[in-house]
Amino acid sequence: MSDQDINNEQLDEGLIRALKAADEAPAVITANVDRALLDMSRRHFASRRTGWKRHGGWALAASVALVAVLAVQVIGPASDDGETLYADVNGSGGIDIADVFALARAGQTGVTQADLDAFAMRVVSLDAGGAR
Amino acid sequence: MARLRRQDPRSDEALVAACNEGDSREAAEAFEALYRRHKDYVLRVALRFVPDTDTALDVLQDTFTYLLRRFPPTGEGIVLSAKLTTLLYPIAKNTAITALRKSGRFPAAEDVAPDDLPGPETGDTTDIRGVLANLPGGQREVLGLRFVDDLSLQEIADVLSIPLGTVKSRLHLGIAKLKSSDFAKNLDNE
Repeated sequence: MSDQDINNEQLDEGLIRALKAADEAPAVITANVDRALLDMSRRHFASRRTGWKRHGGWALAASVALVAVLAVQVIGPASDDGETLYADVNGSGGIDIADVFALARAGQTGVTQADLDAFAMRVVSLDAGGAR
Repeated sequence: MARLRRQDPRSDEALVAACNEGDSREAAEAFEALYRRHKDYVLRVALRFVPDTDTALDVLQDTFTYLLRRFPPTGEGIVLSAKLTTLLYPIAKNTAITALRKSGRFPAAEDVAPDDLPGPETGDTTDIRGVLANLPGGQREVLGLRFVDDLSLQEIADVLSIPLGTVKSRLHLGIAKLKSSDFAKNLDNE
C-alpha cells in the first residue's frame, strides 16, 4: 500500500460513529469544578494591572501636570470663596466635582484646603440647584 | 433557571493572545472562554487513559492548571502555531499517565511507549469498546486522534512526537483490526 493510500485510508461511517460514541464522556463537570478552575484563573491574572491603570496611568500623570501649569497661568491666586478656582480644570467640558479632585491632585502652590472646600461647595450647590 | 452563557466568538488564537497580554479582566475572561470551549475535549482525552471519572476530573483540573501557569505572570505565554487541541492533548495525556502512576496502575518507567498504555478492562469484541480494548494502545490512540478528533496524520505525528511513518503504520494496522472485528461484521449485516 502506498503512502497516499494510507493517508486516505478511511473507515465506514458506521464505524466512525461507533468510535465517536465510545469516546463520549459522561456529564460530570459540575458547576463546582468550573468555579474552582475559574476562581484560580482570576487569582492567577489578578496581579496584572487593569487596562485603565496600565494605559491611563501616564495619561493621568500628564493631565495632572498640565492642570498644574494651567492653574498657575490661568486661574491665578486663589480666593476664599472659590470663585477664581471655579473652572473646567480637567478639560471635561463641564465643571463638576471631578474638577475639584483634579485641582487637589495637581497640588498647586497657593491653593488651600479652604479654597478646595469652597470650590466643592459651589459645585455641589450649583448641581443641586440645577437638579431642581 | 440556569443562566445561558453566550459562547465567545473569538478564535482560540485571539483568546490565547488575550491571556498572554490582556489586563487582568481580559485575560481571565479569555481563559474562561478557552476552558468552556475545550473542557469536554480534555475530559474525553482523560477518559481514554484513566478508568474512572473522578481521576478524569483531576486530570481536567491539572491540565487547565498547567495551561494557566504557562501564561504570565508565572509563565512566558503561549505561541499557538497549531490547533489548541494539539497542545491540550499531550498535556492531558501526560497528566493522566502521571495520575495512573500515582495510583499504582501504570509502571513508573520514564519512557513508556504509547503501545504500553492500558485500556479498559473488557474483552467483548462484538462491542466497539471491547474491540478497542484488544488493540495495542498505540493503535487505539491513533484511531481516536484520526477519526474522533479529526486530526491529520501530520498533526498526530506532532502531537505524539513520533515519526509520520509510525503514525501511518499504526493507523493501517488499527483500521485493519477494526474492520475485521466481530463488531464491524455485525455492523455490516445490519
